[in-house]
Amino acid sequence: MNFPPPPSPGRPGGKSDLVLAVLGVAFLTMAGLLVANLWGRTPARPNIPLVEVKFLATTPWRQSYAALVAAKEDMSDYDCYGCHEKDKPPPIRYDENHKILIPKEHSDIVMGHGSHDRNNLCYNCHNEQNLLTFQVRDGRELKFDNSPPLCGSCHGPTYRDWEAGAHGRISGYWDARAGAAQRLACVSCHNPHAPRIPTREPAPGPHSLHDPQRAPSPAAGEPSH
Amino acid sequence: MTTAIRNYGTFLARCARVAFVGDARYYGWMGLLTAIALVGLNAYCKQLVDGLMVTGMSDEVSWGVYIANFTFLVGVAAAAVMMVIPVYIYNNEELHDLVIFGELLAVAAIIMCLMFVTVDLGRPDRFWHLIPGLGQMNFPNSMLSWDVIVLNGYLLLNVHICGYLLYMRYLGRRPSKWFYIPFVFIAIVWAVSIHTVTAFLYVGLGGRPFWNSAIVGPRFLASAFAAGPALIILALQVVRRVTASGTAADLQDRVDAGGLPGRPARADDWATLARVLPAVGGVSPANRDKVLAAATVLDVAAGEVLLRQGSTSSDAFFVLEGRVVVKREESGRTRVTRTALAGDQFGEVSALHGTARMATAMAEEPTRVLRLPAAAVKVLMENRELNQLINSRMTERLMITDRALLTLRGIVQVSMIINVFLLANEVFKEFYSGNLHVASSKYLFLGLHGHYALVPWIWTAVALNLVGMVLLILPISRSLKWLDVACVCCIIGIWIEKGMGLVIPGFIPTPLGAIVDYSPSLNEALVCFGIWAFGLLCYTVFLRMSVPILQGRLTKANERPLSADAA
Amino acid sequence: MAATAPFSKPDKTSDHAMTRRNFLRGSVAVSGMAALAASLAPLRQLKDFTSTEEFLQKYYKELTPEDMKKVLARIERDVQRQYGIRPHVRDLRPMDGVEFVYCLNLTRCIGCRKCVHACVAENNQSRNPEIQYIRVLRLPHGSLDIEKAEHRYDPKAVPEKGYFYMPVQCQQCENPPCVKVCPVNATWQEKDGITVIDYDWCIGCRYCEAACPYWARRFNFGKPQIPQERLNPEMAYLGNRPRRQGVMEKCHFCIQRTRAGRYPACLEVCPVGARKFGNILDPESEVSYILREKRVFIQLKEEMGTSPRFFYYFDK
Repeated sequence: MNFPPPPSPGRPGGKSDLVLAVLGVAFLTMAGLLVANLWGRTPARPNIPLVEVKFLATTPWRQSYAALVAAKEDMSDYDCYGCHEKDKPPPIRYDENHKILIPKEHSDIVMGHGSHDRNNLCYNCHNEQNLLTFQVRDGRELKFDNSPPLCGSCHGPTYRDWEAGAHGRISGYWDARAGAAQRLACVSCHNPHAPRIPTREPAPGPHSLHDPQRAPSPAAGEPSH
Repeated sequence: MTTAIRNYGTFLARCARVAFVGDARYYGWMGLLTAIALVGLNAYCKQLVDGLMVTGMSDEVSWGVYIANFTFLVGVAAAAVMMVIPVYIYNNEELHDLVIFGELLAVAAIIMCLMFVTVDLGRPDRFWHLIPGLGQMNFPNSMLSWDVIVLNGYLLLNVHICGYLLYMRYLGRRPSKWFYIPFVFIAIVWAVSIHTVTAFLYVGLGGRPFWNSAIVGPRFLASAFAAGPALIILALQVVRRVTASGTAADLQDRVDAGGLPGRPARADDWATLARVLPAVGGVSPANRDKVLAAATVLDVAAGEVLLRQGSTSSDAFFVLEGRVVVKREESGRTRVTRTALAGDQFGEVSALHGTARMATAMAEEPTRVLRLPAAAVKVLMENRELNQLINSRMTERLMITDRALLTLRGIVQVSMIINVFLLANEVFKEFYSGNLHVASSKYLFLGLHGHYALVPWIWTAVALNLVGMVLLILPISRSLKWLDVACVCCIIGIWIEKGMGLVIPGFIPTPLGAIVDYSPSLNEALVCFGIWAFGLLCYTVFLRMSVPILQGRLTKANERPLSADAA
Repeated sequence: MAATAPFSKPDKTSDHAMTRRNFLRGSVAVSGMAALAASLAPLRQLKDFTSTEEFLQKYYKELTPEDMKKVLARIERDVQRQYGIRPHVRDLRPMDGVEFVYCLNLTRCIGCRKCVHACVAENNQSRNPEIQYIRVLRLPHGSLDIEKAEHRYDPKAVPEKGYFYMPVQCQQCENPPCVKVCPVNATWQEKDGITVIDYDWCIGCRYCEAACPYWARRFNFGKPQIPQERLNPEMAYLGNRPRRQGVMEKCHFCIQRTRAGRYPACLEVCPVGARKFGNILDPESEVSYILREKRVFIQLKEEMGTSPRFFYYFDK
């Protein structure tokens, strides 16, 4: 038995041929357009400058006496008796507000230790009997390269934290078996005459993927783009 | 065994051939989809080369429209069961054949889902790391590994069910219940699971308060059960329209041959029947004589009508020779619902039940039929084998009735009401309690700190959802025109609500409080269009193959080599 | 054709018409193939091929020591080819009796972002697209509400009056949500508490990025760009070796340093010593001291139950 096929659901004739011809041409055109890569090109990556090397430095922003010695720097600033006379403590003068008057020879010192000038007496730390040492309230004399106990004599909790490693900078090895940890003294970061750490320029902020210029800032309430 | 494989090979080959042949509309549609799919492929190649930075995604909004589409389509796939449940649990005959269309839609949707997930991967070349046994699957901890399992399982289940039913129809055999009914029930549970698991993908993230809400799962199901059947309603109407082969007027003027007297049946007619319908051989001689006494034989010319839709009569017909096409008129168009070849019967349903004819049967070539009154059919059916055969064929009718569409409307209606209700619950909880976690909702609905990117989207979705819901509740959506409008509203509304309205705001603001807007890039959009086009292409091909099988136009019986053997 | 294909035009269709139809179908097929080939054209630009060796590479935990040796050699080769620098790549394993904890002193932090850039330099993060593991948030005094955070503060000098700064990076949670969600086990927690990523196993689905409550994970949206002169050649497999496009990365407490006993890079660069790191199982360590002595410390988003190994504390 041979079944002739049933009629097609579509209309017979040239319409299909026309569609097929159009499709053939359309596909070829499309091939050309695709090769030409006319749309959807990947946008060029925006320019994000490399961060300046200064932001990567791990060196402390100031050098302690001990570090200066180690680095064989010019130590003339610490040669007190180059100018001062031995056994003759230099006098200290105040203005009418009991604010210390710094002599012009020491004009590089900005005195700012403690709020409300509560710690503005040089001999709170320096030993007037021997300018090359510090004096601690308990009567000890300390060398310039051993200043932390001096700081600790007032800043007890901080000193305790520092001793435990919880305050101050550390680098090197957390694991003593693998290597030593380098601890920094207080004066590597804090200027003893004005210990508050000065403000500094922040390193550049983040860039978002699609709009590297615009900040994702909810709080600023900037208008949407 | 080898015959079985050869048969199956022939089946696949013929299906494939069918997919490449069609009328002008078919070529045009397929060509358009292919072109869009290729543009999408091209865009994806660019993404492969340059990485996901060609999309609009960023570390702040790390999932975008790919995952949004994925989420929506999982819902569509899951919703296919909403056709299955009425059929298999409530025995709704009207929807019976349409289940296959629903399941094929599920297959196409899952294919799209898998593609959307793949294009979202940063390293698609490492897909094998996901394969259990070969790679490492973090099961059961990762919801994504659950999703991989349930999605692929669901794909296999549906491919099996559709493939099996279609192949059996092609062979003209009654499908064995054991081979598909258990899978149908597994698939019902599974469908709920795929969407629940996809919801858990979001719900399980404690760090994203916008998603970390128990109501997301039910919302997903409700919106899926609205959007999925809505899509099926539209798809069925498209099928009904494009498979229409004429108008009702074409059948009007045809000669009514079914009521002609004919000639009494003879013993050689019985022999012919036994040749084309071997099961008849089992009928007892006594019954045979009873049947023959009541039967008449009609010879009709091509184009003559044997029975007419809407009329009543108690006759059933068996084709002895030739071919009869059964056409249904639906909304002014006629469509082939099946083809009766030698050995097939038609008209028995209304004859046995005394109801009006459901379709018009017309000879397509000079045809000889055996006409039996209902009583004689009942006598035939005393034979167990024949009884089964006739009964099984009774259900095989590709009908897309308005009633079936309205049954689906009921599903969309209820789901949509639940969906809008759940959304309202979520909105209330977010805004009334007004704690810190309201930021994402604020960003979505009202805008936050000068960022309004999603506000127009979500209000469009809300408006469309409400319009869709109101239309569905109103009786006007009993008219297909309004039903279609309602369905389109629901589909678009839910797409936005689940995509731009659920996936994106979950990322905004970031857990660290940054607000970075997201909008898909051109390339990303092209990839999405490409995948949608490819999915539609798949669905079109599936329909192209399955409709003629369901109509009885593509069967093993009209396979050439075998018919040549028979000759 | 006409007899076999039930849907072709049978009646009235002459052989001539059939030939024409077949010719047209053929030409559509050919031009379609041309369009397909053209659509694949961008792949010509694909340079960053995966070698078979890398493609077939086994999961980190399944690599034998010999396998690992080969893998490390391959990585060294790849780096040398790409950057012209011979790196030293190691597979450092967690140490016994060590569990790392990080403490960050919010009283001290001045928001200078040096940690961000030291981390980028140490860990070979992509400079463009920019990937940074640490995000420093500026918060108004008196509030820990992260939604008030400003990420892009850009004053002349920090710290600014009325604000404090909170750097956020991977919190190395004890109960990490990112590990739980990874579908391929490409990220896991090691016994020293570091959550690591096998960059050669990650498929780039970014589920972990969505899961992280701290926004600590980063994705390589494009091929990473690292200037040759800034490449850090001291590398670890689970640490700072250069990543491929399309994989996740994040802070790993500088595995290449910390598992060799050293402090992380962000800690060493911090100008004010706000960052503290060490072994919590050692009662003498700085972090043990801090958690013992400091009264106020915060685990960010404690309510998530993630239990971070990253503690914020105040000392004034």
